[in-house]
Amino acid sequence: MTPLQNKVAELFENGTITLMIGFKSALTKLPVPFFFNTASGVDQLIFTPECKGNLSVYLHKPEVKQAKKVGLLANIATLRSLVQLTSENQLGDIEKTVLTINAQNELIVFENMDEVEAYVQANFPEYSEEDKKLLEQLNAMTRTERWQYWTDQFSACVKCYACRAVCPMCYCSSCTVECNQPQWIKVSSETSGNLEWHTTRAMHLAGRCINCGECGRICPVGIPVHLLTAQMNLDIEKEFGAKTGFSCTSGYALNTFKAGDKEQFIK
Amino acid sequence: MSEQFEPKIVAFVCNWCTYAGADLAGTSRTKYATNVSIIRFPCTGRIDFMLLMKAFENGADGIIVSGCHPNDCHYTSGNFHARRRWMVYKSMLDFMGFDTDRITFSWVSAAEGTKWANLVNDTTEKIREKGPFTEFKNLDYSNFEKINNDAITE
Repeated sequence: MTPLQNKVAELFENGTITLMIGFKSALTKLPVPFFFNTASGVDQLIFTPECKGNLSVYLHKPEVKQAKKVGLLANIATLRSLVQLTSENQLGDIEKTVLTINAQNELIVFENMDEVEAYVQANFPEYSEEDKKLLEQLNAMTRTERWQYWTDQFSACVKCYACRAVCPMCYCSSCTVECNQPQWIKVSSETSGNLEWHTTRAMHLAGRCINCGECGRICPVGIPVHLLTAQMNLDIEKEFGAKTGFSCTSGYALNTFKAGDKEQFIK
Repeated sequence: MSEQFEPKIVAFVCNWCTYAGADLAGTSRTKYATNVSIIRFPCTGRIDFMLLMKAFENGADGIIVSGCHPNDCHYTSGNFHARRRWMVYKSMLDFMGFDTDRITFSWVSAAEGTKWANLVNDTTEKIREKGPFTEFKNLDYSNFEKINNDAITE
């Protein structure tokens, strides 16, 4: 039994949690999310650097909300989404126990969100080398080359909305794509409609996305959709000095303003 | 004589400043390009990016978005919020490679009838030079064609 498994078993026994969300290994390339509600489940519980999934997305599910006392095994991206979701007042009614294993392989059990916030600020993640390289390449292209690149990518989109389902920040109970009077976004998967969908998604996540990269990883046709929000986060940080998932109390960059915001393009 | 291309331009304007400015241009008998269709909104803060997207989808070649100057908003802060949103929207469209020159952002007050007329004329001229927005309009068609061509060559 690892220290993590011991701790989770203990949490079940003393009644601190009634549901645990973690990872287990499977036949897939990466470990899969794993739910269990008795201490007997801990045998399969693992936490490795390959556990990249953002499990905070499940906290919006009614089944999880019903459980009330939830244990959550979190990587740094998940912790960052917890911070962002707290700043958006989305985690009020869930009693959660958050666990993580840090780079020194020590088990950490967070008492409250202040500790999570402090941990996130001390271990604030950077973009992966792969993403940095892709962003650099795209920004070096001419406008028409970029247009070609993205329309090529979007033409492959099948509108499965997996990018929405996997995103912890996409928690609206009724999404704008389901709104059909008027039909804002085309239902069929044509390139123009796909472009609309990805624009809308990126705009609704602007200044809220926490760069976990799950949307790009989950995409069945391999569109790097996470780059859109990644680039916007860079812009927002540069223009407004706002970091996402950094503080439980900071507001939403597009919901506030400064009289001295600078732009050059408004005549 | 070849027929001149007449672009379709949609103007999203706020009720309190730019709409009144356009009204002033009209009552002053100022002549300006007739290519523009004005849509009146309560405030620039109401002008959602999805409306712009819909305008392009419905065949607009260019868009003007205009409202009160900063600090002049009827609702105190609507244009400040709008300004942040446009900054983010524009930088994202740039990153996507969308032709953002087709969207003109401006501040026109109720007293600036001449500025409005010039803005419309300049935008019309700019879009006329650029030509129809085929890049966007043919998006579905060109991809369909590409897929077919690929299938034939295979």
